[in-house]
Amino acid sequence: MSFAVEAEDLAKSFGNIKALDGLSFRINPGEIYGLIGPNGAGKTTALRIISTLILPTSGYVKVHDHDVVDEASVVRKLIAYLPEEAGAYKNLSGEEYLRFMASFSLRENGSLEEMVAIAAQISGLGNRLRDKVKTYSKGMKRRLLVARALMTRPKLAVLDEPTSGLDVLHSVHVREIIKQQVKKYDVTVLISSHNMLEVEYLCEKVALINHGKIIAEGTPDKLKIDNDVENLEEAFAKVVGLA
Amino acid sequence: MLRWLVLLRGLGNVVVKELKELLRDPKILIGMIVVPLIMFPILGFAIRGSIESVEERLQMLQIGVVDFDRQSASEDLKAFLQNNLTVTLVSINASDIGEAVRLLQTDTNATDLIIIPSGFTQNISQGNPAYVEIYSVFSGTRGIAEIASSSIVSEYLEFYRRDLAPEPFNTISKSIVKGKPTDVPPSTLFTIMSSQVFVLPTTISILLVFSMQIAATSVASEKEEKTLETLLSLPISRFTILAGKLVGSIIVAAVGAVTIMIGFNYYMGSFMLMGDVGSGPVDLAAIGLAPTPLGYVILGASIFMALLSALALAIIISAFAQDVRGAQSIVGYLYVLIMLPMIIIMFTDFNALPLTAKIILLAVPYSHPMLAAQDIITGNYLAAVSGVIYVGLFTVALLYAASRLFSTEKILTAKLKFRGLKFKRKKIQNSENP
Repeated sequence: MSFAVEAEDLAKSFGNIKALDGLSFRINPGEIYGLIGPNGAGKTTALRIISTLILPTSGYVKVHDHDVVDEASVVRKLIAYLPEEAGAYKNLSGEEYLRFMASFSLRENGSLEEMVAIAAQISGLGNRLRDKVKTYSKGMKRRLLVARALMTRPKLAVLDEPTSGLDVLHSVHVREIIKQQVKKYDVTVLISSHNMLEVEYLCEKVALINHGKIIAEGTPDKLKIDNDVENLEEAFAKVVGLA
Repeated sequence: MLRWLVLLRGLGNVVVKELKELLRDPKILIGMIVVPLIMFPILGFAIRGSIESVEERLQMLQIGVVDFDRQSASEDLKAFLQNNLTVTLVSINASDIGEAVRLLQTDTNATDLIIIPSGFTQNISQGNPAYVEIYSVFSGTRGIAEIASSSIVSEYLEFYRRDLAPEPFNTISKSIVKGKPTDVPPSTLFTIMSSQVFVLPTTISILLVFSMQIAATSVASEKEEKTLETLLSLPISRFTILAGKLVGSIIVAAVGAVTIMIGFNYYMGSFMLMGDVGSGPVDLAAIGLAPTPLGYVILGASIFMALLSALALAIIISAFAQDVRGAQSIVGYLYVLIMLPMIIIMFTDFNALPLTAKIILLAVPYSHPMLAAQDIITGNYLAAVSGVIYVGLFTVALLYAASRLFSTEKILTAKLKFRGLKFKRKKIQNSENP
């Protein structure tokens, strides 16, 4: 069976710092998969490797059977990456930004107008899309960026802390969007988060990551039952030996 | 009293904090202290070398003299100059001024020619107005040395005139431009051309600095606004992203180069209208000192190429910064490469510089448009075109380096490190915590 993502023994060092130390996981097509762990665990590094931005020191990752190093240009056509602290060009309007981003996507995923219409619907920004991005609040900007990542109906959406810095209402809105879009367009989603409750709500399968390694993997229910705890936060604390 | 003490203590604390913040920032440390310490000695070395070489050249200077009079007064004048001038006087036998100028440039190294007209002795003895003409070769590239030799000759003739009171003759200063005698005094030409020598390098420098800021900001703001990662993950080649940034900056730079050319042309044309006391308007085109259309094209190409290389360099360097402020600080170090040639070219004679200084100046790509500005006036197109080719090759190498940088993760992860400073701090920490 072909996997949407197949990471095998992935390692990445920055000088003396080992960001990833033998990370392996597999994601089935159409799955929402969560990488959870504390800050500095290696989540963003793993996502950046999968998104073809940085190279692994050793190991490999394949996206729909395409190697992210050797076939980076093919992988880029399959994915949409939302970095944790992503911004948008502040002097463009929201609509101009979406058009610019959509112009690089494959036509088979829909026309430019269709993509922008989808993004407008996902973001819920309405007429504000005509305003310059610099006038947006943090929440509006994040909704615009989530819409940008999902509008192209990518085979794999890589979302790094999708609700990072958002208040409760905006976070709920963004989570709902992700769930709906996955069902609607059969997108595979890889999410990283240090918010374990969010992951529990969204993901069908999660991996607990610490010091660049996966220390436990399974459905949220399985992890809770295995560790005899109420939620994923407690499960994580138990696995790393803090509880 | 107590209130003042509290205020002073607060001020002291803030000042100490500020000093720590500022002096521990390597960018400020290098920019404010290290760069001036290096830049000014280099500048002093270049200017001193140039002045020494001008002095040496003045000592070895030859002055041609053509005597159409061959009577007692002209012989006396020649004898006086021979005995008193520190330079060598070379007699030229010619039938007219044209031939004299030709022989001066083919047979001697002289840059000045004294013409004693026929009837000189007769006019003096009869109390009629008499005159001596001094022709000076105008090259347009010698800077201050341009009029140094003609000043020396005028000065000695002045001594002689005062010996034979009451002033028996006048001196008339004229110029030799590109081998042709002209009535325009060298001081007038020097005034016009030296202002051009200042105007063009300054404008080119401002344009280069401005363009580098634009290019550096375009990469750094992508990092600062956190848009670069998204851009790099799109299905678009890295080279296209780099090319897009360059083309955007090139359009701005090309507009800048064309603007300079239009302004410069207007500036040079304005001298046509300028009346000069005693000699009438100076037509630079008629005496061969206005650039030709080809000259303008070569200068335009030189400025454009230098701009392109400056943009590529700024993009590479700014990739090592994390934000716009950092990028502008790093790019600021490159201004030495623009300002140093500008000052040297404005204040010194390139040909009189020591060989090492010449090599260094030619190795810096940003010297070339400023040198080309001189070359197109003197008609030395070969030197200007060679400069364009050199800067072109330099630019190709830079573009290759930039495309390599954009195709690796370095564009996201590169940071300028000051290893020496870090090492020193580590050592201090170790000694504090043995």
